[in-house]
Amino acid sequence: MYKVEDLRFKYPKNKDDVIKGISFEIKEGEIFGFLGPSGAGKSTTQKILIKILEDYRGKISYSGKDVSEFGNDFYEDIGVSFEMPIHFSKMTAMENINFFLKLYKRNADVETLMKRVGLWESKDKMVGEFSKGMKIRLNIVRALLNEPKMLFLDEPTNGIDPANAKILKDLVKEFRDAGGTVFITSHIMSDIDQLCDRVAFIVDGEIKEIDSPRNLKIRYGKRELRVEYKENGKTITREFPMDNIGKNEEFLTLLQTKDIETIHSGETTLEDIFIKVTGVGLRDESE
Amino acid sequence: MKASRVWVLVKGELLRLNKYNIFAISILVAIIWGVMLYFVNSTILATLLPMVLLVDASMMSIMYIGSVMFFEKSEFTISTMLVTPSTNAELVLSKVLANTIHNLFSSVLIIIAFVLLKDVKLNYFLIFVGIVVTTTFFTIFGYYMAYFQKNFTGMLVNIMIFAFALLIPSLLYEVHVITADWFQYVLVINPFQAGAELIGGGFKDYVFEWQYYFSLAYLLIGTVLVYRFLVLPKFHDYSIRQSGV
Repeated sequence: MYKVEDLRFKYPKNKDDVIKGISFEIKEGEIFGFLGPSGAGKSTTQKILIKILEDYRGKISYSGKDVSEFGNDFYEDIGVSFEMPIHFSKMTAMENINFFLKLYKRNADVETLMKRVGLWESKDKMVGEFSKGMKIRLNIVRALLNEPKMLFLDEPTNGIDPANAKILKDLVKEFRDAGGTVFITSHIMSDIDQLCDRVAFIVDGEIKEIDSPRNLKIRYGKRELRVEYKENGKTITREFPMDNIGKNEEFLTLLQTKDIETIHSGETTLEDIFIKVTGVGLRDESE
Repeated sequence: MKASRVWVLVKGELLRLNKYNIFAISILVAIIWGVMLYFVNSTILATLLPMVLLVDASMMSIMYIGSVMFFEKSEFTISTMLVTPSTNAELVLSKVLANTIHNLFSSVLIIIAFVLLKDVKLNYFLIFVGIVVTTTFFTIFGYYMAYFQKNFTGMLVNIMIFAFALLIPSLLYEVHVITADWFQYVLVINPFQAGAELIGGGFKDYVFEWQYYFSLAYLLIGTVLVYRFLVLPKFHDYSIRQSGV
């Protein structure tokens, strides 16, 4: 769907490039994530992909055509949810939505969308009276109201409570399952882990790694099993190599003879892998 | 440019002018002008009414467009406008059209009050042309000014300086404080004076001379040039700055 080759970008007042020759592909029907600390270049990349920032170097193609060749009809296909709330606060939620709805050829069923994110009851309330969580959910409705083929989400769950975050994540997965493609930027590891089919680690304008969260965990995780069992009233932990585990007599005996409490594979979290690959902490730089 | 989309944008702008109480403020200003002018005698009224209409079409236009842009800036709404199928030209034009309609509305209120209460004689077509052309020019000029203002207070101060530099000479000439003949040739390049000529053309005693036609051409061409070479080229950069990048 999107193909980015050797993308470089420098803000006019900066001396150095903030995006330093990144290349990646977003496949149709996948959720592709950009994981990185604040200032890594995630939002800048998104703003280039949605044609807000120009004067980049490199090549970006959308559906096989250079994005610079698209006119404003490009936005008929695109839905964008920005990190901050972007609504007219002295207008109601429906007045906001109805205004934007009329600018597009394709219109989504707003009632269904608003009900899905739990805002239908508040549709006639001034947006200025909304909580941050409600405003972010309205951002998502705004992004989806033209039935986009491609959805861009910039830090979609930043600053909202877990219940609202779950609503948004479910909605994004439903969008993908219905054939949509998603580009998501986040510094929140769990968002990327739970949502993305593939993830790129970006630090200081460079991509350090691209793969599915599962493959990354397999590649960078420890291939071992950790078993916790009770013995003489104490919890004892043993670790076994994953290779030929079915033939490991010690492991099999332990399973048969001990009071097992937990068994875990030695998966590493995405955050641990991120630190291992990039040498940078997600939270350290964002704070 | 798509006319139907521009109309949607204009309606949206007008709705927001109402919701953000800018309509209410302009009605209040019109009432204040009306009350003030009601108590002056007919001779002074003949001079003051065109001036009030000029101030409404010029300074107030700059102020209204500036306030609309600062509301947008504070709410980051420009970001979401940039990712709609609307072009930059449509976004700018819709704002200018909406502000012109809005300002015409407040001017019409003042005019109706004086036609009914003071029996003022007007050429409605020419007063309409004068107000629309003047408002459009100053709105587009205010749009450009707003690009460089960091906050609303700063913009108000700059409008006052701008007005002092340009409006005061015109006013002094209008009320015959400055009477030198050569001054009329200096004034023709002042957009406030051009607006005064066009609005004055709607009043019955106005004598049509070259200044009227020059002013009409000057403001019309000026509007197109400011829009095409100043406002539009800088719109994208301004929008990106306001969107938090």
